[in-house]
Amino acid sequence: MGETLFLKRKVSEDYSHYDFPILKKVIKMRREDVIAEIKASGLKGRGGAGFPTGLKWELALKEPGDEKYIICNADEGEPGTFKDRFLLENTPLQVMEGIIIAGYAIGANKGYIYIRGEYAKAINIFQDAINHAKEEKLIGDSILDSDFSFDLQLVKGGGAYVCGDETSLINSIEGNRGISRITPPYPIQNGLYGKPSVVNNVETLTAAAEILAQGGKTYANLGTDKSKGTKLVCLSGDVKEPGVYEVEFGAMTLREIIDEFGKGTTGELKFVIPGGVSTAILTDDQLDIPYTYEDIANVGSGLGSGAVVVVSEGHDLLELLQNVSRFFMDETCGTCFPCREGNRRVYHLLKEAVNKGGFTSDDMKLIKDIGKTIYLAARCGLGQTSMCFIGSVLEKYTDELLARR
Amino acid sequence: MINVTIDGQKLQVPEGTTILNAAKMAHIKIPTLCYSEELSIYGGCRICVVEVENERLLQPSCAVAVKEGMVVKTHTPKVREVRKTIFELMIASHDLGCKLNCLTCSRGDNCDLQRLAQELGIREIRLNALDKNMSNDYSSYSIVREPNKCISCHRCVRRCEEIQGIGIFTKANRGPAAVITTFKNKGMGNLECVNCGQCIHACPTGALHEVYHYENVWDALHDPTKHVVVQTAPAVRVALAEAFGEKPGRIFTEQMVAALKRLGFDKVFDTDFSADLTIMEEGTELLGRIQNGGTLPMLTSCSPGWIKFIEHFYPEFLDNISSCKSPQQMLGALVKSYYAEKNNIPKEDIVVVSIMPCTAKKYEARRPEMTGDVDYALTTRELAMMIKEVGIDVLNLEGEDYDKLMGSSSGAAVIFGATGGVMEAALRTVYEILTGEELPGIDFTPVRGIEGIKEAEVKVGDLTLKAAVAHGLSNVRRLMNMIRDGKEYHFIEMMACPGGCIGGGGQPIPTDMEVVKKRMEAIYESDLAHGYRKSHENPEVQQLYDEYLGKPGSHKAHKLLHTHYTPRGL
Repeated sequence: MGETLFLKRKVSEDYSHYDFPILKKVIKMRREDVIAEIKASGLKGRGGAGFPTGLKWELALKEPGDEKYIICNADEGEPGTFKDRFLLENTPLQVMEGIIIAGYAIGANKGYIYIRGEYAKAINIFQDAINHAKEEKLIGDSILDSDFSFDLQLVKGGGAYVCGDETSLINSIEGNRGISRITPPYPIQNGLYGKPSVVNNVETLTAAAEILAQGGKTYANLGTDKSKGTKLVCLSGDVKEPGVYEVEFGAMTLREIIDEFGKGTTGELKFVIPGGVSTAILTDDQLDIPYTYEDIANVGSGLGSGAVVVVSEGHDLLELLQNVSRFFMDETCGTCFPCREGNRRVYHLLKEAVNKGGFTSDDMKLIKDIGKTIYLAARCGLGQTSMCFIGSVLEKYTDELLARR
Repeated sequence: MINVTIDGQKLQVPEGTTILNAAKMAHIKIPTLCYSEELSIYGGCRICVVEVENERLLQPSCAVAVKEGMVVKTHTPKVREVRKTIFELMIASHDLGCKLNCLTCSRGDNCDLQRLAQELGIREIRLNALDKNMSNDYSSYSIVREPNKCISCHRCVRRCEEIQGIGIFTKANRGPAAVITTFKNKGMGNLECVNCGQCIHACPTGALHEVYHYENVWDALHDPTKHVVVQTAPAVRVALAEAFGEKPGRIFTEQMVAALKRLGFDKVFDTDFSADLTIMEEGTELLGRIQNGGTLPMLTSCSPGWIKFIEHFYPEFLDNISSCKSPQQMLGALVKSYYAEKNNIPKEDIVVVSIMPCTAKKYEARRPEMTGDVDYALTTRELAMMIKEVGIDVLNLEGEDYDKLMGSSSGAAVIFGATGGVMEAALRTVYEILTGEELPGIDFTPVRGIEGIKEAEVKVGDLTLKAAVAHGLSNVRRLMNMIRDGKEYHFIEMMACPGGCIGGGGQPIPTDMEVVKKRMEAIYESDLAHGYRKSHENPEVQQLYDEYLGKPGSHKAHKLLHTHYTPRGL
């Protein structure tokens, strides 16, 4: 079984000659029909949350107001995730086409792409692509002789993981501190500069463009009932061939992805993080499940952003825990108490455990209590998922961690 | 109306009601910390989380509006456990180390965290205290900030920004380094902070408090070579009793005077006296400006927070401010001249202490252009601390009167303590001077109450006098912008704090709009109880002019009772 090339089929094309064939077709369609096609495809948001894209667009189109915004979330910060970088660097015009199409569909004349600041190469490529598109008059007033005008602006992220959260990202574009907003109201009602806004992930928008090229049905025929189409998987960690692979949902198991695309592990497999460090780990015995949203959810984790990180034996568990904990401690925006104080505390408890050579069951209980509190009470997705990895490691390797003392 | 079930109680509430307020309607108090009725919703502390049926996660009740058919549970095991853990986490980063901080804390007797610990039934903290190792901010003359005690609830940030329209505080950094700080960490004394102290009322902890001067006052009281004179502002008398457990609104003037005498002050004078004097000077100034084409509108000058505000934000309007010193400074100046000369006391031996509802008065007393008028300005809270320290049973004390010479006052003076009071007091006198008749009705209600900006027109002879009143600096800013845009008035009263001085930053904690309203009632009640209702009827003020100053606006009055201002900009 090889890759299912839906998104990646144009990767080799030289983008300087790309002339937005999908947009040309779409711009002659009624907005409602564009959205109907996306709805028919069953596409869900690929940033991690998995909200149905067609529904999001439909709600935004129905929202009253002349001024709306489409925002492409390219603040790819989830450790282990690099699919958006791949698309930005290799198929920038398709990404852009997806943004413009989404803008057209929801009635937005202005778009933003918010690219993670560390992605210097992607930023340069995409800025070139914007300049190119402006020269070719694919962005600007009355594009492609239609009555649709569209402007696109690139914003460089300032280096905060939390800005991957859509409301934080909107605050950041506005020049405010990157912290989540209280929802509702959701961005669809009250987003950038208080206007209806749609925030979509890079992969989502690229897939949307391809769906309009190949048809919603074609896409819906791929995958399973609940997970339609394909997904870019970022395979990394202790595998022989890490990389970005396009997988049809349900067509392969997690183990097959690791063995066939990754060409196997570099050591004896210990566990897999199936969706980035914001998801719970799966142990060796849980890997023979189809790669779908529902199957991974059934075993207590999540598909997240598509980052499959393989961890083999030989790593120090406490070190891994501390590493992830440090990340969340540093990246919490500091607004809500459970996330700010909780992640700081967990880091300190882990550090103490390293210093004294292991855990006590009191430490374990405390970390679990804090983890539960952060999950249940934190203000945004960052906090709510910050303890998934740590909590699952503690649960699955309790004995191993306690035995160290 | 929305149907909602809270802890099994079914009720109907208006659309848009938050779970927190709906619970209140069902007589359930959900514990809160970062929430404040007068401020925007922050949703940070998460103490108010509740369980909502069919929701995976707990919901912050302050931020979530009820939906039709919503079923809320406010104290399930999950909720109780989460709240307790949040509290443990928070308290462990609140500078509790081994310094016995609660014992020495400015908020030892009214700490929101202690209250919360009781409400949540906290009986253990499983985490060691974290030392944040930040240094205190002593840059301000008025306010000290102890950032190690700060729990980042943003109440000060929001109060400064939303109620006062300034925005001295901000959040900086992220992760464990996230802190509330001032712009570029410059310190409150090096910024546009106007020293109003509203942030102190916002703070749930002891992270913000006034710069204490009561030790200096104790030193003076125990120094046999010093003659220590004290004065008390109008707003203090209707609030001090709260610090001793009384409900807001008790008029406490005579007991307060008795306590001050017991503390050992040599003379107890009344800032109300100099409030009457202010009306004589300011009223004369206003008439002069109107009759001689002077700069209008004339703006009042008694609120030092407002004065620093205009110096920073509207320096082009400094000529509009009355040149009158504030009542605090006037009385100080007179103690060290009129009183000193009359009693043959060298002014170097006199220490003037003022008891003020205000933190900005500490800054005012240090202004170089008025140095020496007042030596120490204490807040209402500091006076309460001194009384407690001595163990005076102030609630049951036999009342005493202010000392003669500068102890009498009119009802017009006491209402200085409430927003609109200076305006009303001025109108009572100005009207009578110009027309020879008493202001109709004498109680001038259009300028009373807690409306942010109040306007009134009074027919005074041939003149229709246009007046306006604003309190709380965001309202003040709105009114200043109206003036800048060409709106015409003759006379405007500006007060930095919401409600006027009764809501001042030096008043007992808590001070909120509900408390302020009660103090306001007491102020107007006190006005009615006065024998004289108009400033020019104050016999001691008349005596002062006869014996010492000549007439209002005289050269001597100018020398002692007037000042000038400094453009500061931003």
